[in-house]
Amino acid sequence: MDEAILKIRQLRKHYGENLIFHDIDLDVAEGETIVIIGPSGTGKSTLLRCINLLTHADGGEIWLDGQRINAPGVDEDLVRQQIGMVFQNFLLFNHLTALENVKLGLTKVKKMKDAQATQKALSELQRVGLADRAHHYPGQLSGGQQQRVGIARALAMDPRIMLFDEPTSALDPELIGEVLGVMRQLAEEGMTMLCVTHEMGFAREVADKIVFMEKGSIVEQGSPEDLMYRPEHPRTREFLWKITELYGQQQEGAPADGFEAEPAWKPNEDEV
Amino acid sequence: MFRKFAVIISLVLAAAMLASCAQPTVPTAAPPVSAPAAVELPEKLSQAGKIVVGTSADYPPFEFLDAQGNKTGFDIELMTKLAERMGLKLEWADMPFDSLVAAVQQGKLDASISAFNYSEERDEQVDFSVPYYSSTDAFVVGKGFSGAITKPEDAAHYKIGVQSGTVQDGWLTSNLVETGLLPAENLSRYERAEQAFMDLATGRIVVVMADEVAVKAFMEQNPDLQIVFSAELSTGPMAIVVPEGDTVLKTAFDTLIKQLQSEGFVDELAEKYFK
Amino acid sequence: MNAANFLQYIASGTAYTLGVTLIALPLGLLIGLVLALVYVYGGKAGSRSMQAYSIVLRGIPPIVLLFILYFVVSGAINLSPFTAGALALGIVSSAYQMEIIRGAILSVDAGQMMAARAVGLSRLEAIRSVVLPQAFRHAIAPWSNEVAIVIKDSSLVYALGVPEVLRRAQLIGASNQNYLLAYGAAATIYFILVWLANKSLVGLEKRLAIPGSH
Repeated sequence: MDEAILKIRQLRKHYGENLIFHDIDLDVAEGETIVIIGPSGTGKSTLLRCINLLTHADGGEIWLDGQRINAPGVDEDLVRQQIGMVFQNFLLFNHLTALENVKLGLTKVKKMKDAQATQKALSELQRVGLADRAHHYPGQLSGGQQQRVGIARALAMDPRIMLFDEPTSALDPELIGEVLGVMRQLAEEGMTMLCVTHEMGFAREVADKIVFMEKGSIVEQGSPEDLMYRPEHPRTREFLWKITELYGQQQEGAPADGFEAEPAWKPNEDEV
Repeated sequence: MFRKFAVIISLVLAAAMLASCAQPTVPTAAPPVSAPAAVELPEKLSQAGKIVVGTSADYPPFEFLDAQGNKTGFDIELMTKLAERMGLKLEWADMPFDSLVAAVQQGKLDASISAFNYSEERDEQVDFSVPYYSSTDAFVVGKGFSGAITKPEDAAHYKIGVQSGTVQDGWLTSNLVETGLLPAENLSRYERAEQAFMDLATGRIVVVMADEVAVKAFMEQNPDLQIVFSAELSTGPMAIVVPEGDTVLKTAFDTLIKQLQSEGFVDELAEKYFK
Repeated sequence: MNAANFLQYIASGTAYTLGVTLIALPLGLLIGLVLALVYVYGGKAGSRSMQAYSIVLRGIPPIVLLFILYFVVSGAINLSPFTAGALALGIVSSAYQMEIIRGAILSVDAGQMMAARAVGLSRLEAIRSVVLPQAFRHAIAPWSNEVAIVIKDSSLVYALGVPEVLRRAQLIGASNQNYLLAYGAAATIYFILVWLANKSLVGLEKRLAIPGSH
């Protein structure tokens, strides 16, 4: 395996007395898609926010492309440009059209000329199938469309890695498929991705590796095959059983050939 | 969005600057005077060649606006004359009465004339010139008057006559009528003072209130009349306010006021505005 | 003075009334904006000191600040009554406008800032491009109250002798003893100014409304 794009060592985070996670070691190699699963309140979302420095870890190291990014003196704005982030609640800029949402980082951060930024933004919207919605405001778009704009906004910055924080949890069931479709397409294009999601069908089909987190630490990680069908740890087994119970049938052994068969479920509350 | 706000703000600022170009004080230039100053003036004034005087032009007949909207009145004409004698250009600053003393105290104004009566509290903050005008008011009755007026409020027991629009009219209106002591129908206003005395003679009214100087002049022809009470009611001694400790300016005003009084100018003004 | 001249004399004070308002409002907005940013983003020290600023300034009657500025401060810097009045009202207004803008900023979902930072925008750029454009829209409605208050408070500069609408009404009323007509005219002018300001702000709010949002 090549040198990992993202390397995490002994990462630790607490809020006051509350330990959110600890001893996290994780490598993400170029072109890899890694899915993190686990119960709510386990620190998965906080982990993503620590990675792109929206919140700061209390110990451990994060390396991006061989550079230590959670260290004093690092230009955090520069780091965030290289890490795309997709939020559970989309968090589109409400006062801007889809096009302007995607353009903002290009003109304000990358200092691109307006015409060039428009062109780039349109092609990113095209990539998520929303070129015809370029001039719609977030309030005029469905949840699925908003999330695809959110993905386009992150992609426009040409990030080294994309972080997805439960990107489909806030969506109505019929809208989940279009977002997962875009994510699968990105994975196929070779984008490096780290996704927190409960979409087991997506994980099974697209992920190179699944990481199971519980109570602030990584319990087990491995290929989808190994983790889902031959989990070593009893807690992993218990979790997989639970989400099957709660959210519908996992077709044991059946080829995961589509997101459409994904069980409908309601999201748990996001942690932190 | 942000830019739109910036544009709006700059437009607004530009408009405001235009508006601020207009001077808040309305200078009323005195005619140029060639006569040299007969008195010593504070250096600051003689250097500037002008004196800024505050007044509250809402107090007729002392200071008010005429039909053209220009300041006029007893104080206005007197100060115009005083500035002329000083050889200074006169610049008026209108200001509410309550702000005038503070404005003189803080050096915003060189002096103020606004029917100021001397008071001890004011004297602690500013200095006063000698009084330029004071009048005594007299209550006059005819022969056969059997009542008594030992204090001004006693007049409210009788039908009173007064010349319309005078300071005595003002005093009666605010001190007797508006306080409810004197029924409004018991106050008769006359266009001329003689008309009041004529009605007094016929008994249609019992008391006339008028300036004592004017009354005495009238009594020479009408020995039946008698003054039953007199006091400084409608106008106490009035003086010009100057900054505390500015003895040079105070002396200049004192000298010139006495000059104008002895020349009869002040009486002329009183005749014009109070009678 | 005939009625036409009479009304014209009072109406010509509108220039001063507007002048004071058009200095005080943008000044208050500018200071209020900066202070609101310190309040919201300036940490504990920032919010504490801004709270104090707000309490002190909102506790002082505007007329007192006006006198302080004209009679005390302008011993050092010579201010005209007009300037002192406009500055004083602008400073008073800044405390109220700070509160308005602060409320508007807080009404913008915190996620907006997070998303902007995630794209790589600096904090300042995120405030400028993402938070404030939304906050300003929320601020227009409460702001129109403040506009009305400043227009009406602009009459306070009469105390320094600025010949604005109210002072002119006093002078005219005294000169011809028709106070009812004089003050009636002044009231009508203030009413029209406030009405026009509110109408145009409602228009602005409509024009800037974000399509599809409620």
